[in-house]
Amino acid sequence: MIYSSELIKGTLKTIVLKQLENNKRMYGYEITQRVKVLTSDRIQITEGALYPTLHALEAEGLVTTETEYIGKRIRKYYTLSPDGKTRIDEKISELADFMNTMKFLLDIKPQPL
Amino acid sequence: MYCLNDKQIDFILGDISARGIGMVSLQQNLLDHICCIIEQDLDEDGDFEHFYQQTVSRFYKSELREIEVEAINLLTHKNYYAMKKVMLGSGAVSSFLLTVGLILKFGHWPGAAVCLVLGIFILSFVFLPLVFTLKIKEQKSNREKAVVAIGALAASLICLWILFKIMHWPFANVMSLIAIGIMIFVFLPVYLFTGIRNPETKTNTIVSSILIIAGCGLVLTLVRSPAGTREQYAMNSGNFFRNEMILKSERNQGSPLQNATEKNIFSLCESIKRFLVFKETGSNEISADFESKGQLLGDSSAAMHFSSSTEMEKEIAELCDNIEVYNKGIKSGQQPISLARTILKAPEKKVTDALNDFVQIQMIVLQNQQKPIASR
Repeated sequence: MIYSSELIKGTLKTIVLKQLENNKRMYGYEITQRVKVLTSDRIQITEGALYPTLHALEAEGLVTTETEYIGKRIRKYYTLSPDGKTRIDEKISELADFMNTMKFLLDIKPQPL
Repeated sequence: MYCLNDKQIDFILGDISARGIGMVSLQQNLLDHICCIIEQDLDEDGDFEHFYQQTVSRFYKSELREIEVEAINLLTHKNYYAMKKVMLGSGAVSSFLLTVGLILKFGHWPGAAVCLVLGIFILSFVFLPLVFTLKIKEQKSNREKAVVAIGALAASLICLWILFKIMHWPFANVMSLIAIGIMIFVFLPVYLFTGIRNPETKTNTIVSSILIIAGCGLVLTLVRSPAGTREQYAMNSGNFFRNEMILKSERNQGSPLQNATEKNIFSLCESIKRFLVFKETGSNEISADFESKGQLLGDSSAAMHFSSSTEMEKEIAELCDNIEVYNKGIKSGQQPISLARTILKAPEKKVTDALNDFVQIQMIVLQNQQKPIASR
């Protein structure tokens, strides 16, 4: 089952920040592929959601960027900023709390992945 | 694995740009992303153009530009919630300050001016601009955005006009004309004709327009008309002219002033009066034909004129010292010059009241001088 983009949208910032924490520096395509592999294709981040989110994270100062030339084109690498490192735990615990609330609200029994 | 050449990369970049992606960093991101997909998923002998079109069409629902629109939305709405909180907070603080300020004002207790000035300041410079910024994001058409912008500007100007008026600061009247003018002649027609066309907002628009006209009308009834103002100013000049005549005739009837302190008080009063009359009318004195010469005494604050001249501040201090010496040396039967409630102790008075105070000080000196003669 592929999750709908509406469901993913609210958690995208946290997902991206967590990937950057685990992998130091990543570029956009790499993030989408990594998430796709980790979730066995269940979460497919769309380009239309990923890049606006990366721009917003950069504007908020949670990620820093560096560019590298790959032949004629430029690749933008994203890295977690010191501010991003401190915010990530906060974001994850907020999401975990939200998930617990949803489990309670929707009366969801734990299921194996 | 497909290998892209420079021409194909230029083609992709040109196409992204032509599809409305203007942000350079977003162009670079998308270009790299599309190149990665093509390199990974297209066979070595695959059809580049067909695969590219297929790939890029997966990026959007109706057009590629929506990615940039979404990015801009996220960047601009970043502060939306913070702004909303500050707007509500500043609104509450300004309402509180205005309420406390009014209670203090009517109770004639200290601190009223500080509360009112701060309240109106926060209302005009924090609350209303934030209301404008947040409201404008909700409006879709340029006409609706213009309505919000003009409305916020006029409302801020009305608040500032009242602030300038109560603080006796300059340009209050000009500000009132601009504010009411914008409200009635610019905001109202645009607001009315925009809202009346939509059946959902028609009734609300009509009611609000009536309230705006009634509000402006009520405010304007409290404002003196230009002719009324001229009449009032002419009355001020007339009063001062008659006072000066009485003073002159009193002085001519009595003997010349002998005492140095009396002379100092008299000449200092004359000098300060001349300064105030000059500042107010541009002439050194008010003559009998003051109306035709346009020598009209307005409502300006005397303190405002005094603050512009260090020499006058010195003369006022000197006058206070002389009056103190004079009061110590008065004989029985003579009355001391009381400074309570005069311009020398209450500098917030208007020019006309200040002139009156100086004439009265001079009259007391003259009357005291005549008393020993009369009692002899």
